[in-house]
Amino acid sequence: MLVIRRKAGEAFHIGENIEVEILEVGTNQVKIGIKAPREIAVLRNEVFLTERQNKAAATAASALLSRLTGADKSGM
Amino acid sequence: MPQADTQQFGPIEYVEDDVIEFPVGLPAFEQETSFLLITPLKTKPLVFLQSLGRSELCFVTLPLEVVDPNYQLSVSVEDSKILSPAGQTLTAVGQADGVPVECLAIISLTGSRPTANLLAPLVINRATRRAVQAIRLDNTYSHQHPVEALVCS
Repeated sequence: MLVIRRKAGEAFHIGENIEVEILEVGTNQVKIGIKAPREIAVLRNEVFLTERQNKAAATAASALLSRLTGADKSGM
Repeated sequence: MPQADTQQFGPIEYVEDDVIEFPVGLPAFEQETSFLLITPLKTKPLVFLQSLGRSELCFVTLPLEVVDPNYQLSVSVEDSKILSPAGQTLTAVGQADGVPVECLAIISLTGSRPTANLLAPLVINRATRRAVQAIRLDNTYSHQHPVEALVCS
């Protein structure tokens, strides 16, 4: 992981089109501003993880059923 | 009596009072706002969250208290407003500040193992039948909490 030290008011760039600025540094929170093209999804980590889990869960119903109920051939 | 087509259960009849509304949908499924909770006896304690809009969309869930009896619910102010427009803040599973709340964890497969998303439980206000997937803002619980194989009755 690349680690960069920045102060409030300072910024950095990711590629050509994304700029990340540190707006405010508090005692246990930082406020970050992100400028990115509309097609780039910017998601809080917990939302990103939940979207991914939901997509996986939506396709797993029948596999899960046999797994959770012990109905599959291996006798799990 | 309205009927819903479902891939998992075939056509099922329901009453309007059974419908759970997710005003903002679920992350990655924002367009799906109407669901039914189905609890077949033979797969108890599993609860199925069946979309009324998409017959193939059915989430497998478990009551939160089955996955973790000591779970400490934390619902953001924003989500509390969706659940309870009257403005009560929800603080606990069960009867929370006069709001009858039911909580479910969505189950998925991680590799081949079942896991529960405890980072973002489904919280349902039983009085208004409004619901939200309440994503926590802290790191207390995993989005892939291992679930033991259950032998259903």
